[in-house]
Amino acid sequence: MTKVGMTTTIPVEIIYAAGLIPVDLNNVFITGDNPQGLVEDAELAGYPRNVCAWIKGLYSTVLNRDDINILVAVTQGDCSNTHALMETLELAGIKVIPFAFPFDRDQDLLKLQLEKLMKYFNVGWKEVYEQKERLDRVRAKVWKLDELSWSENRVSGWYNHLFQVSCSDFEGDPEGFGARVDEFLDNLGEPLENSGVRLGYIGVPPIMDDLYDYLEEKGARVVYNEVQRQFTMPFGTGDIVEQYRRYSYPYGIFYRLRDIKEECRKRRIDGLIHYAQSFCYRQIEDLIIRQKVDIPVLTVEGDKPNRLDARTKMRLDAFVDMLR
Amino acid sequence: MWCGVDLGSRNVKVALLREDNKFSFYVFDTIRFYREWGRMKEGCLTVDLPGLLQAEGLKAENTVSTGYGRQTIKLKGARNIPEIRAHVSGAIYSTGLQDFTLLDLGGQDSKVALVRGGRMVDFQTNDKCAASTGRYLENMASVLDITMDELSKHYENPVDLVATCAIFGETELVGKIVEGYSVESLAAGVNYTIYKRVLPLLANLKSDKIVFTGGVARNQALRHIIGEKLGVEVVVPEKPAFVGAIGCSLTAKGG
Repeated sequence: MTKVGMTTTIPVEIIYAAGLIPVDLNNVFITGDNPQGLVEDAELAGYPRNVCAWIKGLYSTVLNRDDINILVAVTQGDCSNTHALMETLELAGIKVIPFAFPFDRDQDLLKLQLEKLMKYFNVGWKEVYEQKERLDRVRAKVWKLDELSWSENRVSGWYNHLFQVSCSDFEGDPEGFGARVDEFLDNLGEPLENSGVRLGYIGVPPIMDDLYDYLEEKGARVVYNEVQRQFTMPFGTGDIVEQYRRYSYPYGIFYRLRDIKEECRKRRIDGLIHYAQSFCYRQIEDLIIRQKVDIPVLTVEGDKPNRLDARTKMRLDAFVDMLR
Repeated sequence: MWCGVDLGSRNVKVALLREDNKFSFYVFDTIRFYREWGRMKEGCLTVDLPGLLQAEGLKAENTVSTGYGRQTIKLKGARNIPEIRAHVSGAIYSTGLQDFTLLDLGGQDSKVALVRGGRMVDFQTNDKCAASTGRYLENMASVLDITMDELSKHYENPVDLVATCAIFGETELVGKIVEGYSVESLAAGVNYTIYKRVLPLLANLKSDKIVFTGGVARNQALRHIIGEKLGVEVVVPEKPAFVGAIGCSLTAKGG
């Protein structure tokens, strides 16, 4: 079956309705053998040094694979670097389909965007809603997993991240992925050792994969992953347009903060890690987060994949120590 | 006897606290410390501290370490604590203050911590760039061909330096020398650069009193600039570079 690349979460129901396989390029890039090598390949091609490593990784990921010739790129609701990513991939012969989340969460505009994407893939509402039902069954398992993380302390921060982040594309195989979630839930043992410090993680998923384990080593557990949780669409709505209106990641920071504050309260979060990628516009929004959130915030900047550096470890240590 | 070791990027600072509550201080060049007195044993840095400090009777379990090296090298037998905790605890002890903003400028670090009621309640540090630190000052003094003492005297008529990178900053400084600015103005410009880099951190975590520690706290001009520009009292402990080591030795004693 044909694979369709995606630069971030999109209404994936439409891709499945067309009988195609969605591939979240972020997940492929970061779980590959040598993500740093992909970043360097993009720099060799001419991508500037001071540009987000995710964009560079996505570029090389597409070019290194011969099974992704078509790509849905989010042109609004994500960063403007994506525009240049689209153009450079077009230059390389990749078919790029734009998708825009309207900044003001306008229902009509969002519906129009879905319809345009549906038209491109030649599918109707009936097929799309069938896929929503299919995917919601899998999502419900991950909602359960998330709840077990914060309410019963039975899932580590890493697995909470991993299973939720995979809901952007369901690894191209919703039933297979759902079975892996079931297996994980069936094998959960006793509650994990109490970590003492309960952390929330907000911002894009981290480019370093040892963050969660490092925090656990230091006696802190992430019991809330903001954007990863958003990927699971935990909104309890039967309306697909409304679902992607409630999905917070592509919209403004003030809308995201409503969700962040509510979850922090519910999950009894002691402190927040705000992750921002080097050179990302979201680094500016850090100042708004610091003003609007009334619990301690540590801002962590990630640049290259995919291990924590000594300075970030030092800063994490101090933060956990302060909260203890 | 209790020992605090601050494994800094430029120097290793050691504070030895004796039973009579008196301190002895030692400083070692970081590279020499690792190369000449340290050896790796089972993944840990082993240093014969009692021999090195001539402190017979010092026990490994009475040693606490901190600092940049802590992440890469673990001092065998010693307990590790986060740097900011060590500095806050040392600053409280050294000044007797309970409410202040700590500014620690070391070889590669800029740290700012807000302390209320003797507890750290918030902090910020530099992250991916070390342009506002001691190493930058050393480079700039070397470009100007003056000592660090001389550099730290000047704050009047500063030359405006705008390069955001410490390395490109050297080129900029060379350009200004060619343009004929006085060494005093250039030195003042360098000191102002540091102030401008730490200002956003200080502005976020403000107090009436700033406790200024780390090697850079010996820079009198910077002390003057911070006090005057922010309208705050700048308190520099007697041994500003040893505050982290003092904090470690107090932790060793207090458990």
